[in-house]
Amino acid sequence: MPVGYSIYVDRPSYIHHRLDPRTKLAALGAAFVLALAFNHPAVLGGLVVLVLVAGRVAQVGWRSMAPFLAGSVWFIILGVLIWPLYVRSGAPLYAIAGQTITVDGLLFGLAMGLRVALMVTAAGVWMMTTSPQKLTVGLLHLGLPYKAGVAMTAAIRFVPLLNAERATIAEAQQARALDLRKGSPLSRAVKSVAIIGPLFIRAIDVAQGLAVAMDARGFGVRDGRTSIVELRLTGVDRMVMLALLAASLLGIALRLLGIGLISRDYL
Amino acid sequence: MSESAAALDITDLVFRYASGVADVLRGVNLRIDHGEFVALIGQNGAGKTTLAKHFNGLLKPSSGSVRVMGRDTRAAPVADLARAVGYVYQNPDHQIFAQRVRAEAAFGPRNLGLSPSEVEQRVERALALVGLREHADDFAFSLGRGQRQKLAVASVLAMEPRILVVDEPTTGLDQAGARGILDLLSTWNVEGRTIVVITHDMTLVAERIPRTVVVNDGLILADGPTRHVLTDASLLRKAYLRPPQVTRVAQRLGDLGVAPDVLTVAELYRQIAARMGPS
Repeated sequence: MPVGYSIYVDRPSYIHHRLDPRTKLAALGAAFVLALAFNHPAVLGGLVVLVLVAGRVAQVGWRSMAPFLAGSVWFIILGVLIWPLYVRSGAPLYAIAGQTITVDGLLFGLAMGLRVALMVTAAGVWMMTTSPQKLTVGLLHLGLPYKAGVAMTAAIRFVPLLNAERATIAEAQQARALDLRKGSPLSRAVKSVAIIGPLFIRAIDVAQGLAVAMDARGFGVRDGRTSIVELRLTGVDRMVMLALLAASLLGIALRLLGIGLISRDYL
Repeated sequence: MSESAAALDITDLVFRYASGVADVLRGVNLRIDHGEFVALIGQNGAGKTTLAKHFNGLLKPSSGSVRVMGRDTRAAPVADLARAVGYVYQNPDHQIFAQRVRAEAAFGPRNLGLSPSEVEQRVERALALVGLREHADDFAFSLGRGQRQKLAVASVLAMEPRILVVDEPTTGLDQAGARGILDLLSTWNVEGRTIVVITHDMTLVAERIPRTVVVNDGLILADGPTRHVLTDASLLRKAYLRPPQVTRVAQRLGDLGVAPDVLTVAELYRQIAARMGPS
């Protein structure tokens, strides 16, 4: 079974290899700040597009990014269904079951969905363009304890591994006539215990195995260590970081001024 | 599904995991009749498991066809085919989830929609067959590796499929444990059920399994009586395999008049004893 090392896809792009992992982390941070600063769908939608463009510049395929967008669609649907019941400012559109639905309500719901889409897509593109190894070194430079850095890369590395495990377990249970497509949502949730149960146990098993294997190779004997990856912040890094900082501050300022918002009452 | 059709009938099966990547199976033709006991051997990555996953529809052919008792797997959901084809996974920990042994074994039959009394009967029978009856109320995860493997087999046996596919049932087991599993499969086979075992254990294949299929690089390299296949060193070499150790010994002893198609230690012993005469 092919088990990749995280979802990282190596491409010969500037963003992959020349940009410092700390800069990319700052970009992710900025994306999150901006996602929270605005609640107008046009702004958030624009930022999603910006993230996708950054992904394309880094030569990440549409196909790799699509799952993150597709996953966010649910949040958009959920947002549009729920938020109009709370956000009642703006022009009334129609009434349903005694509730007046306004344009602002729908737009705010859309914005909340897009906010999730922005965060998820940014995190996805970030993971696909930042090698876990370089990321760890970057975080160590920022003062993260060595063991915590390893724990973090291990967690990232476990995502595809556990996904493969989940697929195998699902196959094994289907072979025992488990049909997850039939039945009510509740009965399907109950049925999925047959997959989640073994998955948890496998996860603990794999983690324990990894811990033992690392102990056996002297993990933690010495604090800190050298790395084959040498990081150096270039002039471009500094400029990008400054731009990101400026964008974040601008986002917060606009928020305080009430620009780029549908509602001031909600985050 | 029809009783008169072959248990498994595979025609020109080609399979690739995604378009644009190399074919894993490159035109497999294989027919397995009811009541046969077949070993699938081949080196890692030869395509054994990929082929076996077609037997119960977990994978569907990219082209060609797979018929299970006459039914095309492309038109059948896995949960339906599971009635006819049981599949035991390599690692029992990929399927054990219930707290108690009994509940684990009951999962499959219950999914088939059987009555509670029928489920109970089948579970009792399956657990007895694998020798886990006295552990029926134990915690499933407190069992040792060998017993968990047996539980995995029992939980599929309890579904009483006509065809049973077992992927590497002896991995991580000692000789006694491995023989125990093979004994169990033999018993099940004698009852008229079809069994396909994927394995690397040449000794066990030689001793117990009458028909051997060699998979190599996505194709069937050889298919026939185990005595023919496993004693053909030059053929096996093409699949990066070797005859069982005792067969290799027998072939080195050809000068002494030992037959080259010896499969078990007992056979070799008889051959040598016969040549030594009564002494």
